[in-house]
Amino acid sequence: MTMPTDPAALLTLTQWLSPAYPVGAFSYSHGLEWAVQDGTVHDAPSFQDWLCQLLTHGSGRNDAILLAAAWAADTDDALRGIDDLARALAPSRERALETEAQGMAFARTTSDIWPAALPDLCYPVAVGAAARAMDLPLQDTLLMYLHGFAGNLTSAAIRLVPLGQTEGQAALAAMSSLCAEIARNAMTATLDDLGSCTFAADIASMKHETQYSRLFRS
Amino acid sequence: MHFALFSGDRPRQIDLNKRAAAGRSAITIHAPSPAPSLAAQPRAIGSASVVAKRRDGRSVIGALAQQGSMKLLFPRARAAQLDAVLLNTAGGLTGGDRFDVAATAGPNSHICLTTQAAERAYRAQPGETATLDTRLTLEAGARLDWLPQETLLYEGSALRRRLTIDMAADARALICEPVVLGRARMGEVPRRIFFADRIDLRRDGQLILADRTRLAGDATAQLAGSATGRGCGAWATVWLAAPEAETLLEPARTAMKDGGGASLIRDGLLAARLIAPDSFELRRSLIPLLECLGRAPLPRTWMI
Repeated sequence: MTMPTDPAALLTLTQWLSPAYPVGAFSYSHGLEWAVQDGTVHDAPSFQDWLCQLLTHGSGRNDAILLAAAWAADTDDALRGIDDLARALAPSRERALETEAQGMAFARTTSDIWPAALPDLCYPVAVGAAARAMDLPLQDTLLMYLHGFAGNLTSAAIRLVPLGQTEGQAALAAMSSLCAEIARNAMTATLDDLGSCTFAADIASMKHETQYSRLFRS
Repeated sequence: MHFALFSGDRPRQIDLNKRAAAGRSAITIHAPSPAPSLAAQPRAIGSASVVAKRRDGRSVIGALAQQGSMKLLFPRARAAQLDAVLLNTAGGLTGGDRFDVAATAGPNSHICLTTQAAERAYRAQPGETATLDTRLTLEAGARLDWLPQETLLYEGSALRRRLTIDMAADARALICEPVVLGRARMGEVPRRIFFADRIDLRRDGQLILADRTRLAGDATAQLAGSATGRGCGAWATVWLAAPEAETLLEPARTAMKDGGGASLIRDGLLAARLIAPDSFELRRSLIPLLECLGRAPLPRTWMI
């Protein structure tokens, strides 16, 4: 980063992407609940491994690319096109719900408080559009979004595996440089760079639909 | 020739009978070899397009065009549908190759497309990428099954595929894309692979499905993870876009057993993903799933 971020901008982003912001993030596990159920994720190292793959080869990277494209969109039509793509990319019913419901909640709360009139958008698209409307820097927005994504899954893992609070926070801390790298790469990526290979995580989110006992909506 | 076959380099001028004899695929039809002028060039180009139309209660060929190294074969009809079999006469895909396929199912017609054998993506020259572009169109009341056999990605291959489907609101599309990494059973461990697969499905003009698979670099390592492929050597994604998709969700889950997962992503759109150690294991879940969703046996080439 060339310049330190304006403190007001930093605080706005911190508020938007904090677990206290009312998007309902705590109710989504992104398929993790199934991965714990079937034993794939069973301790801190196996959780960290799972999270790292989602960020690198899955929805973390894709969301970052979608967020950056939304931030750069100059017209409502362009933004709508990115949002259509974000919706269509959902690999399962619950993953579609996760991005659509959080995005809708984010857009409504944000539009009520800040001068950013946001339509209903998928979560990364809504965050990118809001940041652009408020003239917040893209790279910081990406960083905070990715950290929020990782933080939310960490909270889910702490409850589900379960992990100790310290173990969970250590796993999250270990993702810092990865989040920074993905954010940096997303700055220059285009929608043609979208792509994932997190097949097992997609399957986990599908199997979660029929999981007998569940705390999470995804 | 045998060395070339197994090293991951595509043999340029290939006798299809020899390929079958080498046990690589069951090609039973002696298709014409590529024209010498084409085979001498560093890339293969081919295109094929077909339109199915309904006539007297059956689906028949309404229009057909083919050029270069892509051919369409039409086995004897097994039912009221039109069966079409794609054949890449260049013997595989390598850097710089370009193939285009288009199929249209006219109003109330039914066409089922598959491939004669597994498609093979061979080692590409640095900086060169093979491209395969497929466009499928389903008009009112039509049904189209896109059921190619596996695409095999060998060490050093670079392949960019694009599958675009435009369908009427009441049409039925069954789409399957199985992919195999090298040949696990022969101990191959592909490390350098570029594979970008892009699928877009529009129903009534609305984008309802976008799928993007991306492997870049050490594919074996990328797919070793617990959230990626769990060390899989083969995977497939299947979609059914049809008004009655919801009624097939439970049967689909039952049919594929533990081979993967299925979800009704939205009304009239069912998706399933499967991962398996190799193509043999993949087919054990994939074939029952496709027969369940298609409510018909698979094309005969799958069974040869």
